[in-house]
Amino acid sequence: MTPAVEFQSVSRHFGAVKAVDRVDLTIAEGSFFAMLGPSGSGKTTCLRLISGFEMPTSGAVRIFGEDMGMVPPNRRHVNTVFQDYALFPHMNVRDNVAYGLMVKGVDRRSREARAEEMLSLVKLDGFGGRKPAQLSGGQRQRVALARALVNEPRVLLLDEPLGALDLKLREAMQDELKSLQQRLGITFVFVTHDQGEALSMADRVAVFNEGRVAQVGTPSEIYERPATRFVADFVGSSNVLAPEVTEAFGGPRAWASLRPEAIRLVSGGRVRGTVTGTRYLGAGTRLEVRAGALPGPPSGEHDGGIAVLVPAGAAVPAVGAEVALDWDAAALHVMGDGA
Amino acid sequence: MHSDARPPLALTLAAIGGLLFLHLPIVLIFLYAFTTEDRSYQFPPPGLTTEWFAVAWNREDIWPPLYLSLRVAALSSGLALVLGTLCAAAMARARFFGRDTISLLVVLPIALPGIITGMSLRSAFAIGDIPFSTFTIVLGHATFCIVIVYNNAVARFRRLGASMLEASADLGANSFQTFRHVILPNLGSALLAGGMLAFALSFDEVIVTTFTAGQQSTLPIWMLNELVRPRQRPVTNVVAIVVFVATFLPILAAYYLTRGAEETAGGGK
Repeated sequence: MTPAVEFQSVSRHFGAVKAVDRVDLTIAEGSFFAMLGPSGSGKTTCLRLISGFEMPTSGAVRIFGEDMGMVPPNRRHVNTVFQDYALFPHMNVRDNVAYGLMVKGVDRRSREARAEEMLSLVKLDGFGGRKPAQLSGGQRQRVALARALVNEPRVLLLDEPLGALDLKLREAMQDELKSLQQRLGITFVFVTHDQGEALSMADRVAVFNEGRVAQVGTPSEIYERPATRFVADFVGSSNVLAPEVTEAFGGPRAWASLRPEAIRLVSGGRVRGTVTGTRYLGAGTRLEVRAGALPGPPSGEHDGGIAVLVPAGAAVPAVGAEVALDWDAAALHVMGDGA
Repeated sequence: MHSDARPPLALTLAAIGGLLFLHLPIVLIFLYAFTTEDRSYQFPPPGLTTEWFAVAWNREDIWPPLYLSLRVAALSSGLALVLGTLCAAAMARARFFGRDTISLLVVLPIALPGIITGMSLRSAFAIGDIPFSTFTIVLGHATFCIVIVYNNAVARFRRLGASMLEASADLGANSFQTFRHVILPNLGSALLAGGMLAFALSFDEVIVTTFTAGQQSTLPIWMLNELVRPRQRPVTNVVAIVVFVATFLPILAAYYLTRGAEETAGGGK
């Protein structure tokens, strides 16, 4: 099957800045694909390479096998839900949604009927006559979604679609976007810096770092078997262990990742340490444990501390308490490279 | 600080004095359009009459300058609308080396004394061997009309934001459709206001016109010539009222148009 979107060694440089650097990507048709990374990692530029607002410095972007080359945005069968929604303030909601049909020359009656259909798809029946300024943030987001879907794109691009919403609404919209994508069966590509959002919504996730793709995989592959130190740390803030620490923890002499929730507090474990801090998270408590007699501190942001997640209900040791840590051997994930 | 506190008496008097200083001369000009004395302006006027309106209507030497002024104002503000909008579109969206310098150069003609603009245009026309005509007056006026339109348009362009234009292209619109359906409706009132201000400025311009007009005279120039002659003086005042109305109404309309746009900035029209 032809992939919906294909990047073949795509680079986009702005002067000396390599915003996107030799990226290869394959996005299967009908999938919900997340581009995850911190700001400045190149994920948004990749999205704009698909929509056509950026042109590659080198390499090829293909949409359903067709090389996009210099094809302008208005001739691509992809539509975008913009981060700030970019609704037209002088038009009412119905005209906003019907805009894509209007510029194609569809007559007023059919395009308005179609716009009403799209509004009911996003549960905004009866809002057609309002101006965007009269809507809440969540409603504007739905209008932007309806407007992008009215042209029946083969690929829908979403740029940080939930970034401007509050937590409760964001969770509701996550479920709604997911079920919408399954119902419509079209390919969704969305950009986010929120790893929870990427893991919970996407079928496949590409983790971006400094213009390059660090790893592509299913959410569970990304979470459980991070390919690099960056992925392990960025996705779910794992304990990243330096080779000598891994060795001391019973693994080979290589970089490894150990998830805080995979560590148990036991009476006689593999490693002993002292609790140096606790942070209550609601669903559990995160402990910082300084392990004694280690050859060197684990790298990264966990300078010398091991993060341990104590599930809710279990006894939480006080700061200063001596604890022993244990984990299943399989939980110690050795990473392929040291990057 | 209380907003309802009364200002001191001295300040109130000063404000009234300032307003009188600014506007009393205009009132006097209106008053002398109705005087019965036609050789000198004596105060108080010996009697009041409306006959000068009829006299002015029948004076054939008034009509050509009036037509010329209207034509020049319409043409130069029209030219300014096209060029000023294009210039604003380029400056608002592009980022290039020397952008700030060019932005200053565009706005400079309005800061430049009219006499400099007039002299330089006159010598340019002489070098280029261009005969004086309506066209040369229009060119002279367009130098400052473009600035007015540009200033109005560039502020609105900035507020329009890039993502709305991208959304339009993303939904399949070509550049013309984006201009017609997204840019123009959002720019409309700013352009109308800029155009009206430009029209008003052009209509009563004297200095640049004297350098670029040749034998023709616009209405303000006609008035200037008329003041030195002692014949039928109140006719000049009648024409002054016409000039006042022709310039004041567009400025008032422009003021309300731009004010309304700010109030509904997020909500469209």
